[in-house]
Amino acid sequence: MSAAAPSIKSQPVYHALEWDAAGVSHLLFVAADDRPLLERLLAAPPRGDLTVLVTDAAAADHLRASGSDAHTVVEDGLARGLEALESFLRTADMGLRLYLVGCEDAIWQAAGIAARYGMSSAEIRLFQTGTKARPVFCVHCRAMTRGVRTNLADCSGCGRTLFVRDHFSRRLGAYMGFQIDAEEPGVKPPVEVAYP
Amino acid sequence: MNTEISMVLRRVIELGPGIREFWLEPEDGGELPAYSGGSHIVLSLPLPGGIRRNPYSLVGDPHDRRKWRIAVRRQEQSRGGSAWLHESAREGQPLKVSMPANLFPMARLARHHILIAGGIGVTPIVSHARELARLGHSFEVHYAHRAPEFGVLVDELRQLAGGDVYCYVASRNEMLDFRQLLAERPLGTHAYLCGPQGMVENFHQVARDMGWPDTHVHSERFLAPPPGEAFAVKLARSGREVAVTGDQSMLEALEAAGAEPPFLCRGGACGQCETEVIACDSAFQHNDLFLSQPERDSGRKIMPCVSRIAGGCITINL
Repeated sequence: MSAAAPSIKSQPVYHALEWDAAGVSHLLFVAADDRPLLERLLAAPPRGDLTVLVTDAAAADHLRASGSDAHTVVEDGLARGLEALESFLRTADMGLRLYLVGCEDAIWQAAGIAARYGMSSAEIRLFQTGTKARPVFCVHCRAMTRGVRTNLADCSGCGRTLFVRDHFSRRLGAYMGFQIDAEEPGVKPPVEVAYP
Repeated sequence: MNTEISMVLRRVIELGPGIREFWLEPEDGGELPAYSGGSHIVLSLPLPGGIRRNPYSLVGDPHDRRKWRIAVRRQEQSRGGSAWLHESAREGQPLKVSMPANLFPMARLARHHILIAGGIGVTPIVSHARELARLGHSFEVHYAHRAPEFGVLVDELRQLAGGDVYCYVASRNEMLDFRQLLAERPLGTHAYLCGPQGMVENFHQVARDMGWPDTHVHSERFLAPPPGEAFAVKLARSGREVAVTGDQSMLEALEAAGAEPPFLCRGGACGQCETEVIACDSAFQHNDLFLSQPERDSGRKIMPCVSRIAGGCITINL
């Protein structure tokens, strides 16, 4: 998949996922079903220990069917998957490389946990696949609204109608949202699906 | 730029064989700026043949605003700087000193720090240890030296790191094994080494082999400017010509001639003195750690603090 040029510098660009040969152990975190990607990666596993942590049921089924002998842990849903990721990182050693596959909400939440455990961007590779839905951070009330597919969305915290910008915060793992009709109340563009 | 502070050498302390500690205080008795662990200063030493500027790591407490401490080993092949500090410097000697600069900072978000010193490379490690102890961060110190009497400042390290100071004394056949040292370290560990070149190279190689990313592996070593053949420098903007003697660096010769090229580390590490080359009728002798191979190959850049040419003439954009 070729990465589209971002409209704004802060928007992440994702490159085709490859194993990092400099790592001595590897954790692949899978939060979306991308069968061709998984098959390609697991057909040529990296040197050293590999653990696959899957939070997506369909991906887990495909992984079982593929007959891969990689050590696999299946968690039911993203929340549990992130907990499992955290307990893995708590006892992991230097030399680990982390690969995050899924929608941006999932992979950036995972990246945030990894950063808390002292991992740098040199140790983490992210790949967006599945839904393009965006996590949106409200600049007014600081609430997070997840799974936003439209150009406008109601803030989960303050209820304002937010315009979803392309400006992305790696620290928050979210796009910036601001009130669309702050200057002219009630004047809003039509709602469109922008992030399918 | 290149602001200097007028200071006075207040104390000289014998630490070990050929190793002395110097305390510098501001001449006007005022407050010094705070610095961060790993910083160095550049001393302008009044040698008989002219000013020699040498960088030294600050040792001690970064929050001590009254004095700065350095520790200096007398280099066997001293170009005059360390020999002058050991033989001629007396308490009360005024000295011009640069502001501190840090090319060896700590990673403040690390979960654990491994500080490693090789010989007199212990100096920045002490200031790191002091800062980490003050912040209450998790750290340990590994200190390799030739013989017990060379283990200077180890008591200070023990006060800061308690039982987490490990010495490796070559005369007792104790070796520091990086493979062992870096094994099974928790995620988010950062390792720092200040020591001789071979040790630094080995450290980076082992760390890379063990899957440590470069972001977590830090080192510092300063190069003394290697001597060479005498050559001439033409300054393109003023049309002046400056002679560089065999035991002088290009930067020192430029300064002696009254030019004020920028500098920071004077050891080929920081890149501050990078200078554009307009013409050169001789072979480059690049000794820095800064320029990339393509930059070297281009023949358009030189770091005058440590690099020179094999005789002849070089024209620079200065």
